[in-house]
Amino acid sequence: MNIALKFWSGYVRTTDRWPIIATIVPFIPVVVIWSIVANSGLFPRAFFPAPSDVVRAFITLIYKGVLPDYLQDSLVRLLFGAVIGVALGIPLGILIGSSRLAHRICWPVLLFFQAIGDIAWLPILLIWFGFGLTTMTFVIVYTVLFPIVLSTVLGVQSVHRDLSRAAQSLGASPMRVLWEATLPGALPNIITGLRNGLGYGWRALIAVEIIVGTSGIGFMMFDARRAGSTVEILLGMIVLGTLWYIVDAWILAPIERATGQRWGLVTPS
Amino acid sequence: MKTLSLKNLRKTYFDPYAGSQITAVHDVSLDVEQGEFVSVVGPSGCGKTTILNMIAGFIPYTGGEILIDGNLVKGPGPDRGVVFQSFALFPWKTVLENVGFGPKMRGVPKDERDRIAREYLTLAGLSHAADRYPNELSGGMQQRVGVVRALANNPAVLLMDEPFASVDAQTRMTLQEELTRIWQERKPTVIFITHDVAEAVFLANRVVVLSKGRVLDQIKVDLPRPRIWDELIEDDNFKRLSAQVLQMVRSA
Repeated sequence: MNIALKFWSGYVRTTDRWPIIATIVPFIPVVVIWSIVANSGLFPRAFFPAPSDVVRAFITLIYKGVLPDYLQDSLVRLLFGAVIGVALGIPLGILIGSSRLAHRICWPVLLFFQAIGDIAWLPILLIWFGFGLTTMTFVIVYTVLFPIVLSTVLGVQSVHRDLSRAAQSLGASPMRVLWEATLPGALPNIITGLRNGLGYGWRALIAVEIIVGTSGIGFMMFDARRAGSTVEILLGMIVLGTLWYIVDAWILAPIERATGQRWGLVTPS
Repeated sequence: MKTLSLKNLRKTYFDPYAGSQITAVHDVSLDVEQGEFVSVVGPSGCGKTTILNMIAGFIPYTGGEILIDGNLVKGPGPDRGVVFQSFALFPWKTVLENVGFGPKMRGVPKDERDRIAREYLTLAGLSHAADRYPNELSGGMQQRVGVVRALANNPAVLLMDEPFASVDAQTRMTLQEELTRIWQERKPTVIFITHDVAEAVFLANRVVVLSKGRVLDQIKVDLPRPRIWDELIEDDNFKRLSAQVLQMVRSA
C-alpha cells in the first residue's frame, strides 16, 4: 500500500516535470501486447509485423527521404485546405450567429450539406476536377468548414447579450462591438471548432490521398498495400496518430490555455 | 437643468403567439435634474427594466420621447453609461483595460486612458487590482469595476439596473455606502433601478414608484449625507420613508 502510494506520488511529480512521459506511458501496454502477439508465431510476420519491424521500416523510409516528403505533402495540403476553410467558416459563422435572417436562410442548407459526407462528394468531384489538388482541396475545405461554422455560430450566440450592450453604451461602433465583444467571447467555441475541423480534415485527407493521391501518407499506405507491405501500412497509421497528437497537444491546447481558460470562460481539464 | 427627460414614454410589442399587442410601459413622464440620484422601484413586471433599456437605447420605444440634454435618444451611446446586474465586464480584458474601454472607443491615446482608468480605480479603492482579470475578482469587486468603467466615460446619465442584486448582503451594504460616497465626490446623474425599498431610499434624492407601466408616486428623500448604514438603520426619518415607499410598492 505504502509503496504503491510512494510510486504514485513519484509518478505524478515526474510527469509534472516531463509531461511527455505521461503521454508515452499509456502506450507501453499497447506496444507490449502487440509485441507479444507478433512474436508468438500465431500469425506470419509478413502478415502481422512486430513493433521492431515498424521501427526498422521507419528508419529506412526516413533515410530514403520518402517519409519526410510524403509527410510534407500531406501537411501542406491540410494547411492549405484549413486556411481556406477558416477564412470562409469564421465570417460565415459570425453572419449566421448574429443575424436571425441569415440563420433562418442558411441553417437548413448548412445541415443538409453537412450530412453529405466529404467522401460522398468524391465521385462527382472526380468527374469535375479529375485526380488532383483541386479535388483534394475541395474535400478538405468542405470537411473543415462545417465544424468551424457550427461552432462559430454557437460561440456567437453564447456571448452574453449584456457584453455587446456594454460595449455599445461605452461608445463602440458595430464593427468594434464585433471585434471587442463578440469575437473574443466566441473564441473558445471557435477553437473547439477548429480542433474538430482539423481532426476531421486530417482523416478526410488520408482517405482522399488513398483514392486520388500520387503522394502523401495516405498514398504511401495504399501503395504499400499493393506491394503487400504490412509494415508500411502500420507505420502510416502510427504516423497519423502521432502527428495529430502533436498538433493538438503542442498547438491547439496551448492556444486554448492562453485564451478561454485564462479568462475563466472554459474550465481546465 | 434637466439632464434626462421622459415624455409620455410608451412601449408596446406584438406577441406573435398571443396574436395581440402587449403594453409593457403605458405612459411614463419623468424629469431628472443634473446631479440628481433617482431610484426607481416597483414590483417585478412593472416595466422598470424596460424603461431603463429604452433610455439606454438597447430597445426602441413605441411612443413618447426620451431626451438627454435636449437630444432625442435613438440608440445606445456613450452619453449614457450602464451598470449591469450581470456586471458585463469583458473577461478577456484586465481591470485596467475594462475601465479604459470607453476612452479607448473615443480614441484617447493609451497613456492618457490608462491614467484615467487608474484615477477611477483609485476612486473605487481598486488600484491594486488593475492588472488582474475579472474572473480573478470577487463579485463585489467586479461590480465596483463595472461602476467606474461606466463613470470613466463621463456619461451625462449613469443607468444602473439592479447592480447589487447578485452580491451577498454584507457586500451589498458596503457597495451602497461606496456608491453614495462616489456620488458625493463626482455628482453624476443616476437612475437606479431596484426592487429593494431600503436600497432605493438609502441611495437616492428621490424615489419613483412604478406600477403596471405607470408612475404611481414619487417621494423626496432629504436624509443627510454621507449615508452610513450603522446610523440610518436606527434613523426615524429613514424608517418612516422606507415604510412609506414600501406601502406604495405593496399597494402597486
